[in-house]
Amino acid sequence: MKYIKQVLGGDLRQYTMVLALGLLIIIFNIISGGRMLTSSNFQNLISGNAYVLVLALGMLMVIVIGQIDLSVGSVAGFSGMVMALVAKNYNIPWWCAVLIAIAIGLLAGAWHGFFLAQLGIPGFITTLGGMMIFRGGVIWISHSISVPAPEQLKWFGAGYLPEWGPAFTGMNNSTLLLGIIGIVCYIVAQLKKYKHSGDGTGAKDPIWAVIVRIALMTVLIGYFTWLFGSGRVGTSFPVPGLILLLLTIIYHIITQRTKFGRHVYAVGGNKAAAALSGVNVKKTYFLTMMNMSFLAAVAGILFVGRSTAAGPADGTSWEMDAIASVFIGGAAVSGGVGTILATIVGGLVMAVLNNGLMLMGVGADKTQVIKGFVLLAAVAFDVYNKKSGKSSIIGRIFSK
Amino acid sequence: MKKRTLLSMAMVATMMVATFAGCGGSREGATDTAEQPAAETTEAAAEETTTADMPGFDAGATIGVSLPWLGTQNWKEAEDMFTEQLAEAGYNPIVQAADQKVTQQQQQIESMIENGAKVIVVGPVDGSQLGSVLEQAKEAGVYVIGYDRLLENTTGVDGVVQFGSVKTGELQAQALLQGLEEKKGEGPYNIELFGGGPADPNAPNFFTGAMSVLQPKIDDGTVVVVSGQTDFTQCATVDWDNAKAQSRMDSLLSGFYSDKDIHGVLCPNDGIARACITACENAGQEIPVVSGLDAENESVEWVWQGRQYSTVAKPTDDLVKETIEIINSLQAGNGMPSTSVTADNGVIEVPIYELPPVVVTKDNAKEVFANDPSRLDLLK
Repeated sequence: MKYIKQVLGGDLRQYTMVLALGLLIIIFNIISGGRMLTSSNFQNLISGNAYVLVLALGMLMVIVIGQIDLSVGSVAGFSGMVMALVAKNYNIPWWCAVLIAIAIGLLAGAWHGFFLAQLGIPGFITTLGGMMIFRGGVIWISHSISVPAPEQLKWFGAGYLPEWGPAFTGMNNSTLLLGIIGIVCYIVAQLKKYKHSGDGTGAKDPIWAVIVRIALMTVLIGYFTWLFGSGRVGTSFPVPGLILLLLTIIYHIITQRTKFGRHVYAVGGNKAAAALSGVNVKKTYFLTMMNMSFLAAVAGILFVGRSTAAGPADGTSWEMDAIASVFIGGAAVSGGVGTILATIVGGLVMAVLNNGLMLMGVGADKTQVIKGFVLLAAVAFDVYNKKSGKSSIIGRIFSK
Repeated sequence: MKKRTLLSMAMVATMMVATFAGCGGSREGATDTAEQPAAETTEAAAEETTTADMPGFDAGATIGVSLPWLGTQNWKEAEDMFTEQLAEAGYNPIVQAADQKVTQQQQQIESMIENGAKVIVVGPVDGSQLGSVLEQAKEAGVYVIGYDRLLENTTGVDGVVQFGSVKTGELQAQALLQGLEEKKGEGPYNIELFGGGPADPNAPNFFTGAMSVLQPKIDDGTVVVVSGQTDFTQCATVDWDNAKAQSRMDSLLSGFYSDKDIHGVLCPNDGIARACITACENAGQEIPVVSGLDAENESVEWVWQGRQYSTVAKPTDDLVKETIEIINSLQAGNGMPSTSVTADNGVIEVPIYELPPVVVTKDNAKEVFANDPSRLDLLK
């Protein structure tokens, strides 16, 4: 057990959800007779949930600053509807319509940010207002009738990467390339880390642990590359998944490596202390809210692309899915705690649960009940684990 | 954090690889090219609706049924009937409902494809928002049959089984006029119009059908729409929500009927009909002549008691039977049955299998439900 701990490197508490995710996938795969781990199912899983995960990225930052955004579903629906309407009625190119949708998202976010940052109205109220305003807006401008979206948008919501190069690889070469890039990046990062790991403390990770780590990760990325790449010819890692992946990397870097990211955590942890140490709290609030609505617009575009039409009910209760993902990922309601990667894992737990239960033919009613319990259990487990003085369950299993 | 999360994922992956090595399929060009011509034949045959040699499928095949929700009686009946009758016919049915959520329905249909369904019957939440998912079904060689509502904005649909929706609207309006003559004596009659949920492609058709009958009567002054609201968008009831219909009726009554009697209301379904009747009663009006649709239990009782003048029965049983007949034809390799009616779904002409709806009033209720013991029980 000590060796496992060394390979994983330190604190095991944070693996709870990742383990749960892995177990869920395995259990569902067994129950459904191998229908879970198929290329097409995982492609569906990703393109069908990309929009929620994109929302969750922004929602994490909102929750970390200690606010909440209830308007994201309505903003997503509204920007998607505006996009479909302008493309249909004014005959402008599709990419122009996409830019307009994103501009709408930014404006909506600036609106929320203004009320929160400048007037000090709590985010809950600002965005509750926004939820009504933009939901009403969608129904108003659409007359409650769905509007077909430009054909090209389908690529964003349900498209695949191109096929090229030799056929002997047995998979989609775009996906293969992505996988190889992923593995190379990981190896480089690990080696760099190994080189510097002893710098301050003198306690270097054993080299064998690093090698095992790299080997495991290579197998993992390799497996998923194969899973996504070996589907029907013409399919690959889905485009919405790629967009999600890029956004995840960008937001991981923003939150972990930039000044703005540190400000977000500082404001969420202790607003007064942050302000005293020179953090511009207003600016942080404003940008975080603006960013959230920007991502809502992106989610709206992805969804309209997949649905081939924008509908008046688009986005209803998406905010709840996004918020659930963030909390399952271990963020704290009081703010200041939570990470992008854990949020993605939280979102995937919900997605896999949904998908697995559907494969088993469980109805929407029971699925909803189960998801509710999982949310509660995940957060309760997390709270229990983080209570000071108690060693975590997972930690105990692996300690010696 | 990144490192750790990724690492633990690595652990999971090793487990998975160990557990499932060898279970997955492989991507074989040969299989794919072999499938391609078959898919083309399917398409060609579906377009011509011929009875050419079609690849049938196994008699015990999986059949997926995706319904919008179970919140009204007709959908709940459809769920029960499909489950029962498909199993009786020897198929393996997966019947699911999407709780009025488009995303849920998209994912359900995908999981049906994953489960190897040969035919997927879809009663859409929103007929135009399933495009890419249905096209995916088509690529996988699955037949897609629309149930009760048109599937728009997609090439991935082989046919739609429904009651003639324009015809339904005509029948509703005729029943309304007939009731007005019977119950309210000489005209002119004061009426109001209600439409269904705009996301349901049937709703505008009901309204169009009804207006084709009513417009001449409005023009010659026999009936008067007192509020002047005669556009579908003005009259529509979002999501077919009875509560929304009732509050609209409330405000119409207080706004336009403080010194007038209301004689009739065109209602697109039974829930809205009952909502309007309740609103009129609350406002102290005499119950107007009201049309309906679906022959829900409560409304059948109300028709029998004379509170609701008429409803239109679209026996779910007929619809399910027709759908299963089509599935049987596909199974036997006979392709989609031929039909003369088609509808433009925005992308292609979709074959429509239309069934005739039946008007129910107090006079003919016993005959209409002669074979429906549960509804016959209500007529006491």
